[in-house]
Amino acid sequence: MTAAPELPVVDVEESRRVVEDYYARGWTDGLPVMPVSESILADFLAQTRRDPDEVLLDMPHLSRECTVRLAAINAAMAGCLPEYFPVVLAAWSALKAEGYVPRAIWQSTTGTASILLVNGPIRERIGLNSRSNVFGSGFRANATIGRAIRLTAINAFGLRPGELDQGTQGNPSKYSACIAENEEESPWTPFHVEHGFDPAASTVTAMTMRSVAHIEARHTQVPEQLALDLADTIARTGALIHETISACIALGPEHAALLAREGWTKDDLRRFVYEHAVNTRERLTAVGKDAVSGKTRWRLSSAHSEAVPDSDPDADVVKVLGSQAAAQIIVAGAHNAGVSAVIETFGPRGGPPAIAPVESAS
Amino acid sequence: MLERAGVPAVSICTDAFVVPARAMADVLGHPDFEFVTIPHPIASLSPAEIETAVRQVVDDVARILTTP
Repeated sequence: MTAAPELPVVDVEESRRVVEDYYARGWTDGLPVMPVSESILADFLAQTRRDPDEVLLDMPHLSRECTVRLAAINAAMAGCLPEYFPVVLAAWSALKAEGYVPRAIWQSTTGTASILLVNGPIRERIGLNSRSNVFGSGFRANATIGRAIRLTAINAFGLRPGELDQGTQGNPSKYSACIAENEEESPWTPFHVEHGFDPAASTVTAMTMRSVAHIEARHTQVPEQLALDLADTIARTGALIHETISACIALGPEHAALLAREGWTKDDLRRFVYEHAVNTRERLTAVGKDAVSGKTRWRLSSAHSEAVPDSDPDADVVKVLGSQAAAQIIVAGAHNAGVSAVIETFGPRGGPPAIAPVESAS
Repeated sequence: MLERAGVPAVSICTDAFVVPARAMADVLGHPDFEFVTIPHPIASLSPAEIETAVRQVVDDVARILTTP
């Protein structure tokens, strides 16, 4: 029999009053936050050589910026341990490189949030989950690193729902979205290595996401059948706002193994999905998205007064991805079922992903 | 922004965006900033419906543009 752990001696009512005070000040995403003191803040700042006043990301249209200090305070409030802070800092670098956040995407009616992908040895060191329930709850590092970004959005940038955050519905990742790649059960090169980083490096990739669409394909061992399910999910017309879109395919290890067993590389899957993530012209017409606006390039009906033809008006079959690079591929989840997901990312993309290295303080 | 550059301007938003618009005006240091609202939505309206919405506010737009 295990002895019950010794209970800490604290005044619980007093600690609840502190948490309630944070609520009263509006410094929360709706869940309780961890109180922060100067000494706790110092523990976080000791994890980096960067100046506490260094600006990590600014939103010029709001005249507001996130400094290292503000990022640390919000990481502590989110429940991070100090040793997570280098990952949070890398996340801000990746968000800045990605470019949508400084341009106000977190305020948009689309209701996006930013999902973070972590690669490299830091995953093991801080207990980041890459396996069962990878998009779900249950792991402190995943939950609090993602939440650190959201609390900063609320507290440093003032993006409160209904005010400066105009998300029509938002999405569940607005609480927290941080996953790790399951490099150990991937048959392929890890994501960060594919993009030029050393396998011993740890990195954070930032992607603005709209939703995570679930793929069931437990029935097949045929790569093309699985890849068509993925392509069909990417091509759904409801996802089309811009002329073309982008996606990150998060393959479960079983699906990745299925593809690799048949000799498929990531590039083979990317090429197949690019070719097959399509809609017929007839289908686009049926949903009123068969042309684009001459002003915004958003999809609309060819009958609309702003309509101009899309990039390939003579094609009967229209690709939803503008390039092969608009589809990224990662491996995540448990090796226990034929399940994968498509992270619906925002924007047409196509260039290299926004990846930042995790820097150590020493 | 246009007015800072000396160009008379008026902001028009739908009534769904009154709170964010007021919040932006506060952030930019103009809590009394006057803007015009029209009924939500507009993105799905026909040109004729847009014209109806605009006719309802055109006098307000003119007034704000010509008031120092």
